Amino acid sequence: MTREEVFATLNEVFQDVFDDESIKVNEETTADDIEDWDSLEHINLIAAVEQEFGMKFTMGQVVTMKNVGEMADIIMSQTEG
Amino acid sequence: MPANFTSFYFLCFYAIILLIYYIIPRKMQWIFLLFASAAFYLLTGNGILILYPVAASLVAYISLRLMTGTEDVKKRRAALLFAVISLIGALVALKYINFGINTVNGVASFLGKAENMITPLQFLVPLGISFYTFSILGYVIDVYNQIAEPQKNFLKLTLYGMYFPAILSGPILRYREDGEQFFAPHPFDYRQVTFGMQRMVWGFFKVLVISERMNLIVNTVYDNYVQYPGAYIWIATICFAFQLYTNFSGSMDIALGISQTFGIYLPENFETPFFSKNISEYWRRWHITLGVWMKEYIFYPLLRTSAFTNLGKKMRKKFGKKRGKQLTTFLAMFILWFTVGIWHGGDWKFVIGSGLLHWFYIVSGELLAPIFQKAMEKLRINPKGRWLDIFRMLRTFFLVNIGFVFFRAASAADGWKMLKSAVSVWNPRILVDGSLFMLGLDVIEAVIALVSLLVLWTISCLQQKGQVREKIEKQKLPVRFLLWYALLFYIILLGYYGPEYSAAEFIYQGF
Repeated sequence: MTREEVFATLNEVFQDVFDDESIKVNEETTADDIEDWDSLEHINLIAAVEQEFGMKFTMGQVVTMKNVGEMADIIMSQTEG
Repeated sequence: MPANFTSFYFLCFYAIILLIYYIIPRKMQWIFLLFASAAFYLLTGNGILILYPVAASLVAYISLRLMTGTEDVKKRRAALLFAVISLIGALVALKYINFGINTVNGVASFLGKAENMITPLQFLVPLGISFYTFSILGYVIDVYNQIAEPQKNFLKLTLYGMYFPAILSGPILRYREDGEQFFAPHPFDYRQVTFGMQRMVWGFFKVLVISERMNLIVNTVYDNYVQYPGAYIWIATICFAFQLYTNFSGSMDIALGISQTFGIYLPENFETPFFSKNISEYWRRWHITLGVWMKEYIFYPLLRTSAFTNLGKKMRKKFGKKRGKQLTTFLAMFILWFTVGIWHGGDWKFVIGSGLLHWFYIVSGELLAPIFQKAMEKLRINPKGRWLDIFRMLRTFFLVNIGFVFFRAASAADGWKMLKSAVSVWNPRILVDGSLFMLGLDVIEAVIALVSLLVLWTISCLQQKGQVREKIEKQKLPVRFLLWYALLFYIILLGYYGPEYSAAEFIYQGF
């Protein structure tokens, strides 16, 4: 999967979880940029991303991830090969 | 030496520590802080109880050693479990056994059984157990999750666990962010030391001038609420909100200020919480380190257990995507808020007042959100309007105050009776006929309290816009001089302190 593809899929997951078609995520997007992305929705988002990409984040990654770019890094490192 | 930051003896102790800290070789600073922390624990009359925080650090040390030696997931998990069970076990044994016993007794007497089925136990609870347990446990979990480096030096770990500015009433520390600075060398930095001391002065203002005054009114009404019904309860509860806030956030200003003079930055615990527009926001701005701890170590792991993921799937199938998701979160939040409540103390008044009541607020808010939105559209209320924001702040403050009634009342049952009295007794005339000045503050004292609250309010508004101390620093010398000395003299003249008012005990240190 290329980085562009990962972002395209992430975009769909974000739009679906936050129920907002206008969301466009990029490397620097953080929870501050999306109104509904609070601690409650964070876990739902993580679960949806995991399901979509067929991978698992560790608890450490869940709490330290700073932005969508880092999320994409983890996804790519786990779905390689 | 009494266990609080506002006693004269503590200030002498602190002055000596600060002086020595910058005289000795920098490599020894952290060892000296460990020594000072142990001395603080012993001098505040805890004696043999000092073994508890030392034992907690030892448990963490052993757990970290076991974890770092191996990549084997099972062994790592066993090491984590050892730490969780020992640390939480000690906390539960010391703080909550009587809660269980009292609840059983309560149910028994309700059912008409004998008075006291089980006699409550007598324990001496070690100073700061709720705070150091969480700081240490969070660190062990972070090492298990491989987001923090394990500390190999037992003494350094003990300093992290017992650091005296944070042991009385927090903040709850986070090793992966705050840890390393404890052991780094700290050269004397005039600016940081003055900033730290200024922050301490601000804390003293909150605790000694405001909190101690509010305390008088609160005690009069809450200790005799049958005599003081209706509007008295409203007034006393608002006073309690300010008492608790100035006491807790003031003690944080002192703790963070002291620590800053050592060159060590502790995490912030408050961000003008009474300006919050809803309950969730309030909990992101009140006792921040507790909220973050609960989120990372209770709420997230809980939602990621297979039990909860499976439940989520079932719920979504049954109730649809959105509702199903909501219901699962509500259940996890129930457990979260129960834990937040009981952390404050083994009593139903805490479980309700700073736990389940807030769960109820958030859940109702979520469920009613669509209705509110429709109503706002119909009434053509601008959702971004300034007046709406003010309304929301007042509403949030009101809801939080209902929780404070339980929190401060002698018991949950008393809290309930007080709430009933507050809404059923109609006596607004006491607000204007001078009765309020009979509660412990006469006219002059009440004016001092109001002026001080106004100062607090003004500074809080400024804090929302940026760093106040930096702004003051940019003023000309005479202005700065005048500002800080005016505040200092204000506290010395108007603060409640000294032998006859030695009761400046921090409310949150009981937890």
